[in-house]
Amino acid sequence: MKKKLNIYTWLCILLISIGVKAQETKPLIQSKLEGIVLDAATKEPVIGASVNIKGTTHGVLTDFDGKFYFQTGQKLPYTLIVSFLGYKKVETVVSENSVVINLTQEPNALSEVVVTALGISKEKKSLGYTTQSLKNKEIADTKETNFLNSLSGKLAGVRITNSQGDMGSSRIIIRGETSISGNNQPLFVVDGIPVDNSQLNTVGGASASRDFRNAVADLNPQDIETLTVLKGPNAAALYGSRAAHGVVLITTKSGKGNNGLGVTFNTGVTISQVATLPKFQNGYGQGSNGLFSYVDGKGGGINDGVDESWGPKLDGRLIPQFYSNGQAVPFVAHPNNVKDYFNTGITLDNSISVAQSSDKADFRLGVNNQKQTGVVPNSEINKTNFTVNTNYQISKNVKVGVTANYIVTDAPALPGGPSGGRAAGVMLQFIWFGRQVDIDQLRNNRNVNWNNSYYSNPYWNAYYNTTSQQRNRIIGDIHLDAKLAEGLNFKFRTGVDYYNDRRKYTIKYGTNGTPFGSYAEDAYTVSERNTEGIFTYTKKLSDDFSLDALGGFNIRNHSDANNYQKAPRLAVPDLYTLTNSRDPLTSSNSLSRLRVYSAYASAQLGYRNYAYLNLTARNDWSSTLPSSNRSYFYPSVNGSLVLSEALNLKGNTLDLLKLRAGWSEVGNDADPYQLSTVYNFQTAFDGNPIQTSSQKKLNENLKPETTRSTELGLEASFWKNRLHFDFAYYNTNSFDQILEIKTTASSGYNSQLINAGKINNNGIEIQLDGSPIQTEKFKWNVGVNYSKNTSKVEVLDYDKQIQNYTIGSTGGVDVLASVGQPYGALYGTAYLRDANGNIVVDSKGLPRADSQKKVLGHYTPDFIGGITNTLTYKNIELSFLVDASVGGEIFSGTNRTGTYTGVLAETLAGRDAANGGLSYYNVGTTKTLLTGAAPNGTTVYDNGVIFDGVFADGTPNNQIITAQEYHKASYNISEAFIYSSTFVKLREIKLAYNFNKSFAKKLGLQGASITAVGRNLFFIYKDAPNIDPETAFNTGNAQGLESLSLPTTRNFSLNVNLKF
Amino acid sequence: MLKKLSYITLFALTLSSCSDTLDDINKNPNATETPLPPYLLTGTLKQGADLYWGSENNFNSSLLFVQHWAKIQYTEPDRFDVSNTSFTSLWNTGYATLITDLNTILNFSDAEANPNYKGIALTLRSWTFLLLTDAYGSIPYKEAGQKVTPAYNTQKEVYTGLLEDLKQAQSLLNTASGTVTGDLVYKGDISKWKKLVNSLRLRIALKISDKEPALAKQAAIDATTDAAGVFSSNNDTFKFTYISSPQQNPASAWFETRDDFRISKTLVDKLTELSDPRLPVYAQLPSDASVGKYVGGGNGLSNSDANSQGFAKTSKPGTYFLTSASPAVIVSYSEVLFNLSEAVARGYIAGDAEQLYNSAITASLNQFGITNTATIAAYLNQASVKYDATNYAKSIGTQKWIAFYGQGLDAFAEWRRLDYPVLTAGPASVLEGKIPSRFFYPGTEQSLNGKSYQAAVSIQGKDLLTTKLWFDAK
Repeated sequence: MKKKLNIYTWLCILLISIGVKAQETKPLIQSKLEGIVLDAATKEPVIGASVNIKGTTHGVLTDFDGKFYFQTGQKLPYTLIVSFLGYKKVETVVSENSVVINLTQEPNALSEVVVTALGISKEKKSLGYTTQSLKNKEIADTKETNFLNSLSGKLAGVRITNSQGDMGSSRIIIRGETSISGNNQPLFVVDGIPVDNSQLNTVGGASASRDFRNAVADLNPQDIETLTVLKGPNAAALYGSRAAHGVVLITTKSGKGNNGLGVTFNTGVTISQVATLPKFQNGYGQGSNGLFSYVDGKGGGINDGVDESWGPKLDGRLIPQFYSNGQAVPFVAHPNNVKDYFNTGITLDNSISVAQSSDKADFRLGVNNQKQTGVVPNSEINKTNFTVNTNYQISKNVKVGVTANYIVTDAPALPGGPSGGRAAGVMLQFIWFGRQVDIDQLRNNRNVNWNNSYYSNPYWNAYYNTTSQQRNRIIGDIHLDAKLAEGLNFKFRTGVDYYNDRRKYTIKYGTNGTPFGSYAEDAYTVSERNTEGIFTYTKKLSDDFSLDALGGFNIRNHSDANNYQKAPRLAVPDLYTLTNSRDPLTSSNSLSRLRVYSAYASAQLGYRNYAYLNLTARNDWSSTLPSSNRSYFYPSVNGSLVLSEALNLKGNTLDLLKLRAGWSEVGNDADPYQLSTVYNFQTAFDGNPIQTSSQKKLNENLKPETTRSTELGLEASFWKNRLHFDFAYYNTNSFDQILEIKTTASSGYNSQLINAGKINNNGIEIQLDGSPIQTEKFKWNVGVNYSKNTSKVEVLDYDKQIQNYTIGSTGGVDVLASVGQPYGALYGTAYLRDANGNIVVDSKGLPRADSQKKVLGHYTPDFIGGITNTLTYKNIELSFLVDASVGGEIFSGTNRTGTYTGVLAETLAGRDAANGGLSYYNVGTTKTLLTGAAPNGTTVYDNGVIFDGVFADGTPNNQIITAQEYHKASYNISEAFIYSSTFVKLREIKLAYNFNKSFAKKLGLQGASITAVGRNLFFIYKDAPNIDPETAFNTGNAQGLESLSLPTTRNFSLNVNLKF
Repeated sequence: MLKKLSYITLFALTLSSCSDTLDDINKNPNATETPLPPYLLTGTLKQGADLYWGSENNFNSSLLFVQHWAKIQYTEPDRFDVSNTSFTSLWNTGYATLITDLNTILNFSDAEANPNYKGIALTLRSWTFLLLTDAYGSIPYKEAGQKVTPAYNTQKEVYTGLLEDLKQAQSLLNTASGTVTGDLVYKGDISKWKKLVNSLRLRIALKISDKEPALAKQAAIDATTDAAGVFSSNNDTFKFTYISSPQQNPASAWFETRDDFRISKTLVDKLTELSDPRLPVYAQLPSDASVGKYVGGGNGLSNSDANSQGFAKTSKPGTYFLTSASPAVIVSYSEVLFNLSEAVARGYIAGDAEQLYNSAITASLNQFGITNTATIAAYLNQASVKYDATNYAKSIGTQKWIAFYGQGLDAFAEWRRLDYPVLTAGPASVLEGKIPSRFFYPGTEQSLNGKSYQAAVSIQGKDLLTTKLWFDAK
């Protein structure tokens, strides 16, 4: 309580003292001058230009309409100095009391203005760190329903892992994983409002949860004007706690700059196809040991409960099948039975926006509707965004505004169904499959299935066992900008991101494995509220020195609540209510709240337009930390030196040469409720309540986490900006991390929360932009980005007892943060090998597993990069993007299972002589290699394989096993299914046509364009068979694990944009 | 203007904060920091029964090893083709749930929990440690729950420590020391808990008998001479009785959605040979009525061979075990009688080994609803059933194995100790013809408690399924 009072008192004093100070000056009036500053080319007003009377300290900034006004003791005529970022400075003598000043844009790299932390625009040359931006077209034109995917390959140091399928979530990581256990994704800030990007899930936990699109994907790409990435703490220190992983700043379109009423209409259609399905074999059908005959699909026939393809040859022999009512029908391959299950997805995207600005106000209204039907039958998402962005000048010095974004997401059925893993509902059944299955028969009759032991008909699942989602979300703020005195401004904003997210899971009565069906409701309410006030102060201290300072505060309140209820077995079919239950409901609920108070300040000192020093400081008080450690302070410093200006190196070749350097520290708090160990309730037993350990030992002495980062950079520009080069090196150390370390259960807990750990990330980023050809009509631009991040887990606990932190696990493979290793080591069972590296087999010729688990790879790539080529000829623009991720490994559950079940093409090997199978005959139970003629009366088989290995004594393996045994032999040996995740992908081809203004005018339009885009087109190169190595299990830190993922999609879209 | 602005700002600041302090905000609204002993007790009983009777430790591992059940599909565990995550639940639930919850009770002040709660907690904790060491061998015992990376203790240290723990539990338990609620097994009857303590002491005595005979003898005497006595009827049996879904017997829940287990051919053949009246209780007739007799599934077959036996042509485990209210028997009266018989045979205590052996079989038959005295007498009179004083291990081992049907972990432990019946590994099993002699440690021990793990393995022998444990002398 005491602490809070202190902050308020401090703020009040600050406000009052500024108020007092600002009212002190009252000059004697000698002259009045009204003026307007315009852009010389567009004749648009220039807002915020600084206008000074030469030789005095009098200076003002132009207002919202580019206007300014002097009432001074200075007599006319006098000389005005007018300057604005990105424009050439103008000196002009005025003798009358009104003047129009035109500013010309400076066409050089020096003048570039970028958005920095807290939405403040700064000259890029003054910054000691890198930022990188994308414009609307680069995002919106891709027509990705999850706009994060459109960033792939376009930004140095930014890694996007798009999830499976066409309706999934995506993960964004900037400059590697800096937190061992926490969320490593950046903070998203939309128009100054921090927005939530959770991926919420209760069912099944982290590894087996089904995928719901991450929350930031709610934004409509059409509304985004620019997207700026602040890479890591150096750029984002002012955002504090949440800046350690970088910040994505999104500025949405406003009405500014629209002189008349502007109406923009955009319509697009996208079609999606499944892109990376496994390669299946079509030689052998369902069954085992070559035998199969269907009776009831659950063991009543011959191997008809077997969901594997080790059955008879698909040679048209007659065998009863699931649809034939006991009749023997031809047993033939259906090579496209999986592909044909999937539909062509269609997304219709329509938006209309209206914008206008006048003397006093500007506004933009927008509506967007997106209707997506997915590649999985019956899957559908509808999303509608309503946006308002308006500002109003209530007095000469005060402007107020409101933004609001209301988003309604309604997904009647998401792909994958409610049971099991995120996509398991679909791909599980196709990887455990009979290759002879005729998918048309399943489509035509949902009541039959090829297997009834474990699955229901996949169409039954798609249409009856559904997951629906409804999300209502409001993101908005009210804000105020006030000019308090010359150079002193105050900004105030209170913003909210609030949503309700309801999911309903239905399983129909009669579903195999869930005979009574089930029904569950899962509801989330998330609220993120931020209130901030910022004072900014700009002053030219002398001819050489300038000061740009800022001080402010923020109050953050976050809460999320969940309520889950399930009727585990329905009483009557087809009625999906919680009361229709034959069992007691299972239910849970949770609430989580946190609050952070912050105060911060920054200052930029400039010297002669070429040397800059930037300082920031911030202090946070977080509710999640114990009161003794609650307050934490962290500073940053960075500087830039424009050598080309300072040393006057500018010439015909060199436009810009800039060095920059910075050091920063940011602190981070904990999640709520991490201080006291608790006991959970479980469902009461027959009236007896049950309490049990949460299995997690918490820590009442938590300290804040700290991340320190150093960044060095060099930027250069040549030949009138035809070639631009940017290089960055960074080194980030995160320590005192709040780690929930997995501990041996024998310690009493499966995990304990400790303050320890140190992880280092360092890397380089190179961004190269060039225009090799630039003529009046034809232009060729190349953008190349490259980034390499190296991480190393240096320490886990300070007692050095713990060597490994388990990030996640699946199928026997753990993803570890392992001391001395790069982050994300894949740790699992390896083949037992002898001293020469040969695989050791047992006496039957089957490979043996090493009882010591091993590091089998790392999921983090060695480097990533992208190349965009853009060719412009008159009004036509063609661009293509190739991106690559090199290095890193992935464990593939699809390959593991598909090899075991014999559905993958690779499993044909050894099944018969044509596929390299060895011929043998049996002597007793011993398989004997056929060398000449077989002894009389013995059957010769041709499905023999000898596993490439040695016996324990070092002699080569000579034991014949069947192909089926061979392909199943490595199921529990993780090493066999680790692949390089290297890929090179043709990510995007875009063809755009912009209609001539004159032509458009004839149609009554201000502008028109038409764009065709192909996305995710094909792999130019990849190592991992049967899967897209970009897919991931979820958006958490346990990457590098793939299992039965939905295929990724290839998208083609056509988009028309009309401006009225 | 500025004044107004200040007011607006202050007003907004007020709006954005409520009266909660930061400490209030961080008070966990979802769980309790102060548990209550009866609720913890109910929890450990329920979760202990689930652990002992559930798939991972019972029918998907130990029950296959001792050939009570067999897999007819996905036969990997039946072929001992297992992964390093196969044996994690006994470890994780045993330690982080059961032992931690029981330690919570033990650490309560006397005002929070009376001595009877603590006596029960110490008894249940001893039972849990017993399960762990029987399965894995050396385990963290003295430092368990005390350190982040606790050292392992040898089996000898664990068993002798547990005898002391149980002695202490016996002294804590006293009918005059206050009532206990939340006790779903004995409904607060402290005298039965005292019998359980002695029964467990007797079990441990025999467990160490091949290695530490003197200590074993003393423990057997202590257990049987204690005033509270050991189990004296089937009413004393320590069992957890389930109710209905979702609080149903784990095996019954499994069979609701899956159909990949059958009763083992080894057991069916043995029961058939002995004309054992328990066969119709232990097994169902195959669903294909044309078969007309009990047919077990072979253990350790390849998937295809297992499948070819026919889902409809083989016997599922008896409905006695597959109904939702089936009890999870944890320590039976019959086991105690077998243990008394063996203690007599070993000369630890006085008595009639054969009579105790017959009583043990009778108790088992009664347990499964066979009470007809003529049927029982006829069964006992068979030469193949009769007690063989020259080879008590064979008689007791075989009959104990039958009586333990469904109690995989204990059947597995006693089969290893008594070495009867003689079992043969299935044809497609992967341990060079051997049957597992233990569970290996969870793979995570290597990464989470590496030094302690390595130290334990260097004493006990390689962390393999086939490594023999200390108590398993032969």
